[in-house]
Amino acid sequence: MNNIRNFCIIAHIDHGKSTLADRLLQITGSISEREMQEQILDDMDLERERGITIKSHAIRMDYKRPNGEEYVYNLIDTPGHVDFAYEVSRALKACEGAILVVDAAQGIEAQTISNLYQAIDQDLEIIPVLNKIDLPGADPEGVGQQIVDLIGCDHEDILSVSGKTGEGVEALLETIVERVPGPKREDDKPLRALIFDSIFNTYRGSVAYVRVMEGVLRKGDAFRFMANGEEYNAEEIGYLKMNKEPTKELRAGEVGYVIGSVKSLQDVRVGDTITKVDNPAEEAIPGYKEAKPMVFSGIFPTQAEDFEDLRGALEKLQLNDASLSYEPETSKALGFGFRAGFLGLLHMEIVQERLDREFDIDIITTVPNVQYEVQLEGDERIGVDNPSQMPEVGDIDTIFEPYIKASIITPADYIGPVMKLCQDRRGVYVNQLFMQNNRVEITYELPMAEVVFDFYDRLKSGTRGYASLDYEFIEYRKGDLVRLDILLNGDQVDALSSITHRDKAYYLGRKVCAKLKELIPQQQFEVAVQAAIGSRIIARDTVRAIRKDVTAKCYGGDISRKRKLLEKQKAGKKRMKQVGTVEIPQEAFLAVLSMDDEDRN
Amino acid sequence: MSGLYLHIPFCKQACSYCDFYFVTSQQYKQPFVDELIKEIRSRKDTRFAAEKVRTIYFGGGTPSLLSAGQVHQILEAISETFPLELEEVTFEMNPDDVTVDYLNDLKKTGINRASMGVQSTDPDLLNFMHRAHTSEEALQCLELLHLSKFEVFTVDLIYGNPGQTITSLERDLDIILGYNPQHVSAYSLTIEPRTRLGKQVELGRIVPPEDDTIATHYDVVEKTLRAAGILQYEVSNFARPGDEAIHNSNYWEHANYLGFGPGAHSFWWETSGRAGKRWSNEKKLRSYLNGSWNSPYAEELLELPALAEERLMLGLRTRKGISEDTLQEKYEVSFSPAQTEYLHRMEQQGKVITGNRIQLTTKGLKIADTILLDLLTI
Repeated sequence: MNNIRNFCIIAHIDHGKSTLADRLLQITGSISEREMQEQILDDMDLERERGITIKSHAIRMDYKRPNGEEYVYNLIDTPGHVDFAYEVSRALKACEGAILVVDAAQGIEAQTISNLYQAIDQDLEIIPVLNKIDLPGADPEGVGQQIVDLIGCDHEDILSVSGKTGEGVEALLETIVERVPGPKREDDKPLRALIFDSIFNTYRGSVAYVRVMEGVLRKGDAFRFMANGEEYNAEEIGYLKMNKEPTKELRAGEVGYVIGSVKSLQDVRVGDTITKVDNPAEEAIPGYKEAKPMVFSGIFPTQAEDFEDLRGALEKLQLNDASLSYEPETSKALGFGFRAGFLGLLHMEIVQERLDREFDIDIITTVPNVQYEVQLEGDERIGVDNPSQMPEVGDIDTIFEPYIKASIITPADYIGPVMKLCQDRRGVYVNQLFMQNNRVEITYELPMAEVVFDFYDRLKSGTRGYASLDYEFIEYRKGDLVRLDILLNGDQVDALSSITHRDKAYYLGRKVCAKLKELIPQQQFEVAVQAAIGSRIIARDTVRAIRKDVTAKCYGGDISRKRKLLEKQKAGKKRMKQVGTVEIPQEAFLAVLSMDDEDRN
Repeated sequence: MSGLYLHIPFCKQACSYCDFYFVTSQQYKQPFVDELIKEIRSRKDTRFAAEKVRTIYFGGGTPSLLSAGQVHQILEAISETFPLELEEVTFEMNPDDVTVDYLNDLKKTGINRASMGVQSTDPDLLNFMHRAHTSEEALQCLELLHLSKFEVFTVDLIYGNPGQTITSLERDLDIILGYNPQHVSAYSLTIEPRTRLGKQVELGRIVPPEDDTIATHYDVVEKTLRAAGILQYEVSNFARPGDEAIHNSNYWEHANYLGFGPGAHSFWWETSGRAGKRWSNEKKLRSYLNGSWNSPYAEELLELPALAEERLMLGLRTRKGISEDTLQEKYEVSFSPAQTEYLHRMEQQGKVITGNRIQLTTKGLKIADTILLDLLTI
């Protein structure tokens, strides 16, 4: 009997995926009441705070059917954000079925559709589930119709559950046995195990989470990563229960972990295939991709002496996050640091926040940008992922910028604001499609550079949080782009350069100067803040010299107070960056991003 | 040699800018005096009483809400507890409390320096500050002080008030100088968050003056007083040469001092000379009356490096500055090459005078906080 079921849950943020997963764990007895902590699967603080899953997770449950049959369920959780589409595709690859969870009040969102299509493409059995049926605003009829339209199932195929109350969850567990096919148990073929995630353990090194597709991996086996040919021994293998449970072998169809003293931890790449050194598979599992960064930003230590610590921290982060890439960068303004590539803006925020929380390193990040392709005079075409490396105007023939196709699903009431936002961001309208429940899917082609600039936040605030966004890269297109430089007292600050559309340069220049004037504290001398395109100054502001700065009273009790204040000021000042003679606070490097609502457009 | 500070926590009403501790109810005055005397006497035969007391300072609150008899009782207790070699006994008073008799009685108790909280002579400003006295009372009181022949009398003034014009400030200075004080303390208005003023600013009901305006006020104060022979010797303190406040100067030179009364602060060097302790009493009058002064409310031990920074912070606020020798001998620090270079650069800009003593010029004093911070982080 094939008693394994491998499945994942596809859901939009907030549609209750984690709560439902918790309920499954509870009912199958995989976790005791005492251990029950809300949303077990999201175990990073950040994940809990943001209510999203950043990394994939997997957990094995033992399910006993009412008729007494025993099954092994492997729930493979998937990241829930557009930045992590590739990780999602690898997690899906490890499954035979997917539970499509849709909030019965909110309906299907863009992100869900794109993940769902991936699952259908990979021939996964879809179990549609309406969640939150206990909520007063639930509309099982209408939302059910959306699902029927989308996947072509019957109304009767849709399950109704409430992750919160547990209603319908037992029926769901039974349905998994019935509908999700068991994995093929091709033990006799050469080993091919798909890595769908990896984590780093300080004591054990990298831990690969794998789904064995074919063959058997035994403890002690010599194995190989097929992408780079590195070889290791399987020191420990096991199942991913609430705690790792070592076992002797992982057979075809099973999900588990592999530890092999993997020292070069970059070796464990999501999507790669593990095979055995003797009797290796001929081909890796298709679909492996090197993580391709889409957004770039400079990361610099505030204190020059923290450079090595920052390097160490990035190395460690990369262990858990192979999609993070970085290389050393030297900035005239900020000194030694790194230029890092991210899958998207959220990914970037996560990395920055983890550097701060987990490593306690004070960093300055520069404004994120995309990678441009620059056709130089002559034949050469180069990639530029750093505005300060944009060649001089005279050397450039054409600049190309990446475009994405964005699909936005929004209640019809907000079509206006969504379209205005896309137009303001140089979007090219493609079409709009009316769906059930008064909702519309709007498709635009947009320069990616316009999306990395707080597009998502604007979209959310313009639609009271209702709109959802999915996007994919389409191609590079010609753009009338210029580099906007910022000068402080005549010195160009490379870290403040940005690339912008020519039509927006003047406006942006004026705004950045005004913002910097606000952010740069008064110094003992006047500071001229200028914006320039090439050698042409297009905007100017002045930070006036400080005229008076002295505490009025300093007697008995004031002294302690003043000393404590001084300690704070010293710490604050250490976080400033000296650029030429001018001191700049960290926020200044994100001045372009932190402009107010009406400033943007 | 040490100094004693006595905190008298009573006020008739709350001035809008003040965040010192006080109570407006007057019924506990005598119990307070009794408790204060207890606290003073508790220091008898301790190491704090081994040093001669050089200065005494009655601050507040409003010391002039005490009767001369109560002041006498307090000074008695002090002379029975500490060896004295008094050079300066200062008493803060508010114009509305002063009469000829009161001043005479105070003089008899041994007070030789009267400090008058005039703040302004402009009726609108006094009203804005929520001071208890009127403009007339201030002038009358200045007249009395002028005639009373204390060794020194000093006048407190606040400038940089919202809406205050240069003309109004000049008039204030003019009037005060007319009474020929030996000493003036002129403070730029500080907006403290937990005051009535602070709240009004927070709510946007009052807009504080621009930095430029305050800077101009500062210049007007300094120039006008200098022209009258009253020279700046600390950021906010001006005196005829020789009439500088000894008690306050001791704070800035890290001399030992003891504070008595609710919320009063003390500083005393450890016998090793390599550390100093700062501590304070609990602020609440009620708990003070229950003997909370028996144990320090907040206490910190500062090692030499922290003290050195403090000394620099305090020294740079005075025109006298701080000598590099003192820093080296007493605090075991000297300037780094980068710091020295910075000081020379500031000297070229006319903000600092270097040499054996590092001194800020009038121009430098105006941005003393900036210079200190630069110096400590360079």
